[in-house]
Amino acid sequence: MIGFLGRRCLQAVPLLFVISALVFLLIHAAPGGPLAIYLSNPNIRAEDIDRLRRALGLDRPLWEQYVAWLAAFVRGDWGYSFSDGRPVATRIAERLPATLELISVAMAGATSLALPIGVAAAAGRGRWFDRLLTGASLAGISLPAFWFGLLLQIVFSIGLGWLPSSGRATPTGGDLVDRLQHLVLPAAVLAIVQAAAWSRYLRGSMIATLRQPFIAAARARGVPGRRVLLRHALRHAIGPLLAIVMVDAALLVSGAVVTESVFAWPGLGSLFTEALARRDYTVLMALLMLSSSAVVLFNIVADAVHACVDPRVVLAW
Amino acid sequence: MVTKPAVVLALLMAVAAAAPLVTPYPPDRIDLSSRREAPSAAHWFGTDDLGRDVLARVLSGARVSLAVGLLSALVAGAIGVAVGGAAGYAGGLADAALMRGTDALLAVPRLPLLMIAAALLQPSTPLLIALIGSAGWMETARVVRAELMSLRTREFVESARAIGAGHLRVLAGHLLPNAAQLIAVSVTVAVARSILLESALSFFGVGVRPPAASWGNMLYQAQSTLATEPWLALAPGIFILLTTVCVNLASEE
Amino acid sequence: MLFLALASACTRRPPAAPPSNDLLIVGYDREPDTLNRFSTHILEDIQTCVVEGLTTTDENMKVIPLLARDVPTVDNGGVKTRSDGGMDVIWKLRPGITWHDGVPFTSADVKFTVDAINSPSYNPESTDGFDRITSVDTPDPLTAVVHYKEIYAPYDIQFIRGTLPKHLLEGRDIDRAQDYNRSPLGTGPYRVAEWKAGEYILLERVPRYWQGDGLPRIRRLMFKFVANTNTRINQLKSGEVHVVALVPWDKYREIATMPSIVVNRTPGNAYEHVTLNERQFAPFADVRIRRALIMALDRELFVKTILDGLAPVTHGAIQPRSWAYTDRITRYPFDPAKARALLDEAGWTIGANGIRRRDGRPLAFTLITQAGYAIRENVAQAIERQLRDVGVDVRVELHDGTAISAIWFEGKFDAMLHWWQMPSDPELTTFFAADRTPPAGRNINYYRNEELTRLLYASDRTIDRQERTTLLQRAQTLIAEEVPEIPLYSVTRLDAVPASLRHFKGNPTNTGIFWNVYEWEISK
Repeated sequence: MIGFLGRRCLQAVPLLFVISALVFLLIHAAPGGPLAIYLSNPNIRAEDIDRLRRALGLDRPLWEQYVAWLAAFVRGDWGYSFSDGRPVATRIAERLPATLELISVAMAGATSLALPIGVAAAAGRGRWFDRLLTGASLAGISLPAFWFGLLLQIVFSIGLGWLPSSGRATPTGGDLVDRLQHLVLPAAVLAIVQAAAWSRYLRGSMIATLRQPFIAAARARGVPGRRVLLRHALRHAIGPLLAIVMVDAALLVSGAVVTESVFAWPGLGSLFTEALARRDYTVLMALLMLSSSAVVLFNIVADAVHACVDPRVVLAW
Repeated sequence: MVTKPAVVLALLMAVAAAAPLVTPYPPDRIDLSSRREAPSAAHWFGTDDLGRDVLARVLSGARVSLAVGLLSALVAGAIGVAVGGAAGYAGGLADAALMRGTDALLAVPRLPLLMIAAALLQPSTPLLIALIGSAGWMETARVVRAELMSLRTREFVESARAIGAGHLRVLAGHLLPNAAQLIAVSVTVAVARSILLESALSFFGVGVRPPAASWGNMLYQAQSTLATEPWLALAPGIFILLTTVCVNLASEE
Repeated sequence: MLFLALASACTRRPPAAPPSNDLLIVGYDREPDTLNRFSTHILEDIQTCVVEGLTTTDENMKVIPLLARDVPTVDNGGVKTRSDGGMDVIWKLRPGITWHDGVPFTSADVKFTVDAINSPSYNPESTDGFDRITSVDTPDPLTAVVHYKEIYAPYDIQFIRGTLPKHLLEGRDIDRAQDYNRSPLGTGPYRVAEWKAGEYILLERVPRYWQGDGLPRIRRLMFKFVANTNTRINQLKSGEVHVVALVPWDKYREIATMPSIVVNRTPGNAYEHVTLNERQFAPFADVRIRRALIMALDRELFVKTILDGLAPVTHGAIQPRSWAYTDRITRYPFDPAKARALLDEAGWTIGANGIRRRDGRPLAFTLITQAGYAIRENVAQAIERQLRDVGVDVRVELHDGTAISAIWFEGKFDAMLHWWQMPSDPELTTFFAADRTPPAGRNINYYRNEELTRLLYASDRTIDRQERTTLLQRAQTLIAEEVPEIPLYSVTRLDAVPASLRHFKGNPTNTGIFWNVYEWEISK
């Protein structure tokens, strides 16, 4: 296991290297760098633009900029944001808790939805509530998340006035209830879309597991149906689901981009959209590297966890 | 194998293709005197900010969204089969290299990367199709590779090679057809994913841009008047949902 | 977990705190990069509350003194021209002003500011005007004599952004002075209490503001960052924010009927127009084409329908509020018949597909505009329709905000639907002088007219108000006749404030609505 983990981590390094080069090229391939935002101001002149360009190091050849950025990045120096001159690491650290909060609540919600739905659907396979649940989860994965978010806003905020439409807390409030109320809608959007995917997966996995001979054996032994379901089948079926959950958790960060934008949630997702609008290269690079690394890491962990839970899985590289 | 979702989809595509004949109004006819009308007998889905008939625009948008969805899924499928096929068949170093590359791309969050690419390149529709396609082939590649890995040790491959069939022939003629079922499912899933990706990109204003209509960019334009003219958002959203549900249902066959 | 969430959702929400003299919440559309007024980019609302300039512009776009005792003019002896072609401006400062840390505000700060901006080690956003200052003398702590090397007409707003405190910033790297950039030291009614990154900036009033006891009346101001426009307006409707500046026009209908909100309409100093790049698209060089285009557009209809009547049609670059404005200029009515006649006369005849051609080439061009503004996109599409009706083929292309700046800066476009926020000083040189095409200026029509160029430079080189007015009026007349660009409408500012807010006075310039925030009061 240790050997496996070590090998995978080593492999991850060239992977991340390739990712970083690709992303860097992409971001710099564009018309309108970070200085474009100054051009619309009639008071700025060409000399000012040149001066700023030199100050930000944008006049050096591309490969030189990349090497400089990479060398600094691995040292932990993520550079300064082009927007406000503050260290990128600081800007990200400020927004990280908000995103973590949103994602962890969303994941908790998604799991608590997906488990019962997946199990119930598998157990009652073919019956009316299986059809209903499967249909609902199908709708869930087909839903454009941003549209869903807008609808929830219209219904629950503007229409019924039950929940706030955006932000993380009322500026003057901030107690637990207030924060929970702000959390409900964006977390619900993320949770429902995720739960739909997970419940389908779990249902499939459960159905496959239930067909196994050891289940029939347990039933023959007289183990009550409920226990067969939960104790025996679920334990086996959950392995692959766990792996999916781990991987999706990292990807949720990117799914949060849409949700955070619709609900003005002050996390990494909205930092991304702002940085994109301003062509803030340093922030964009750092965010993408961060989320890619998280995905790679979570993949490794997911494989390891899967192996732990299900001894039949062989850890190949 | 005519199934219900496939029928609905085919109907939708037919109506979309025949859009100019079906609707009484051209989708880009501006009529500043009948702006923002709620759904009525004259305009089944109402009119938008410039007096254009929403139904006509939704159907016209259907062409774009469906075309982008289908074509990019095909692009994704093609690339996926090529990469996965090569890796699965060749094995060894080539396989390792290709799969590492695939993993690398899978690790980068898809939507943010596409948003950056689309924002920077401001692609025309063909380029957009290529872009979305090039972000969706990885799953197919993995599936094809896995299947090929298990298939290539089978007897029929040995015999085909024994009688002198070239690698490409074995691949195309024997192995891939066996994986066809999996490929089909993978591509169908890719269609749904591509439609959602296009609508997300257009929603952020970096996909298909106005004045061309697509479901995603109709939602983007409807955003600012959601409280006063909700019908502008309902129509395209419902169509996206309907289409994606049908595609997903079809993929389960 | 889920039950907790649902339960909390069902709890009746306490109504959002209404605006009061204790706290006023402003929904702001972006988080500032820095609060340093010289380093900053675009809007300066928050900064205006903290750092004050020697002068400011009021609701009528008039320059009024703030930290200076009065505005120096030739008449009051504050401005003297020198024999070598330069000029001296004598600023007399108001006595008794201190920075928030108690140190007196003196002319040394003015001198320090000029030196800092002109020094190569600091990178402010723009050095316009400052680079024409050769030196500053400080004969006494309340007098600063600024020596310009040439006549500089907008001298009265040279220090509108305020001054940098010498005792705090001397000898330091100002770009990296995060303590100042995050919480600037000023003389204004408020100071920064807290900046919660990604969420809000909280300002609190200073104990002894110089404008008077008991001022400002509102104790705290919170600027909440809500980038998404829909969300911002939703929060206005739900009462989570109380003030929103620059409400987009397509949101007006949603909030106009709310009893708790008043939407102020201030005629702005910006105008929307269609730039006609004659360098890139040769037919634009023919004045008949340009006149035909302007007459083919029913601008009144656009304003009435797409803009919901919120902004008036404009006929030139200088707006009615400015002292240099004249309305005795050529105006083009909506007359498609005349437009067609002009196009025929210019040799462009209707082809088979309804589009005009000449010498085998169609009269077709691309109209670009910035994406993300629904009204602008709609106007662009309406323009496309109306021009097609007279046989001109237009293709509308939307570009991102940052990408579009690069495009027009390089002049790589045919026509652009665009707006300029005009400076409060009515200088047009950078927009219309023949030698001020990018990168030297903003003449993106690439329009070259000898006489106009002469008039504009002449108006820059005099500080005699009468003379400037005459020259600028002649310039406006000339521009109206020649139509180098198609003016559409002047941009009205919509600002939403609580109905209970007293003494609010909108401001059409970049100074923003917070220019008199110290007077504001919430009445019960």
